Amino acid sequence: MLSKILPEKIAKIVNSKLNLKGVNEIRFRADKPIIVVVGGKNYFLSENGLTSSLKDALYSSKIVIEDIVFRASECSIYSVNEQIKKGFIVTENGLRIGIGGNVVEENGQVKTMTNFNSVNIRIPHSIKNCSLSCFPHIVHDNIIENTLIISPPGCGKTTFLRDFVAQLSERNLTYNVLLLDERGELDAELNANFYDKIAFSSKKMGFENGIRSLSPDLIVTDEIGQEADVEAILYASTCGVKILASTHADSMETFIKKSLFQNLIKEKVFKRYVLLSKRNGPGTNEGIYNENFSRLSSF
Amino acid sequence: MKYIIIAVLFVICLVVGFTFFSKYDKRKKFFTSLIMLAEKLTVEINFSRERLKVLIENFDKNTRQNLLGIDEGFVSYLDKKTELNEKEIFKKADVLKKDEKDFILLFLKTLGRSDVENQTKEIASFTNRFQEMRVISDTEYKKYGTLSLKLSLIAGLFFVIVLI
Repeated sequence: MLSKILPEKIAKIVNSKLNLKGVNEIRFRADKPIIVVVGGKNYFLSENGLTSSLKDALYSSKIVIEDIVFRASECSIYSVNEQIKKGFIVTENGLRIGIGGNVVEENGQVKTMTNFNSVNIRIPHSIKNCSLSCFPHIVHDNIIENTLIISPPGCGKTTFLRDFVAQLSERNLTYNVLLLDERGELDAELNANFYDKIAFSSKKMGFENGIRSLSPDLIVTDEIGQEADVEAILYASTCGVKILASTHADSMETFIKKSLFQNLIKEKVFKRYVLLSKRNGPGTNEGIYNENFSRLSSF
Repeated sequence: MKYIIIAVLFVICLVVGFTFFSKYDKRKKFFTSLIMLAEKLTVEINFSRERLKVLIENFDKNTRQNLLGIDEGFVSYLDKKTELNEKEIFKKADVLKKDEKDFILLFLKTLGRSDVENQTKEIASFTNRFQEMRVISDTEYKKYGTLSLKLSLIAGLFFVIVLI
């Protein structure tokens, strides 16, 4: 899947010298060494694969970066401008490519991004059973508790969500699951049967339209980060729909202090909180908490 | 035998004339079709925002035939099978001049590289230049294309009369 977007020389090295199953990210920065993140640790990319030696590292250039963005957009940047405005592109096979460059604003609105100077290719993984330890706390007597997955970036939130949906399917728990997927990456490598998907929509619109038109039992969505997202969740919780969502925070203490979530905490919308970290590699379960933030289990 | 030679000479004159005519005809049709492609891209990029490859592949088949293979070369580049250079793109476009090839190559290099607004402006600016090229090729067609056909017919008849 990387061959389509990477320059031929780099694609050859990546495909022949790296085990992509362990690779989390590949980062390209203009005139800087190419970085490969494996198991949460950074390495340089060399002709012979991974290296820790800077002198063997392969360097990226601005042309390479622009070409990656061009190829990731299927040679049609105009067709993915709405994504580029938000700083990323998701390819058809679920690769999420974060983009750095110059933001062009007009009347306070982001119009586009130009002069790309860095890209971060995140390789989606489906880690089977990574949500299994939390599963009995979230689903019991066929009832799903509203759950929020909390972690810093790159700690496996999306992978957790994906595996949880797969676990439901594997157990033949035929809930109607709605993936509300702002970035179009949630169902990459997802092996599940009972889900619908609304992609590239704002949370507010996705929640409203999804509940109205698809009658979901459970809505799964990634990265709650704005007031409008919180309002959408509060709305869904009053409609009898269960919610599995994720957000960024590095600890429960930080999360509890965030003003954005005060309403959700006060209303006890989420009955379970799962904290993930990179301590033993991405996806390390640090604990599961109830609505009163009492730890139910640590791992 | 004499009549066979006369007939052969007459045909040769017509073939030479038709070859020149065909060159100007191809050029005229090429620029007309290129402008149609550019206009189609402008409309689709603004409304459907479909991928370039799909837009080019869905472009009218008959009009595509006049594009002298540059559409195929470009799709092949989009598929990462060939490079975007003069040698690969203009394999079948020997009727185009060097400066025309350079300009068309520049046009292809800008496709898909920017947002809708900028892409539309870029295509419009290239289309203006393509219009000028079409006017020139149209004038050449009228001036030299039909002239070469008429001259070849006159030359053929001249040989017929002289030899008879």
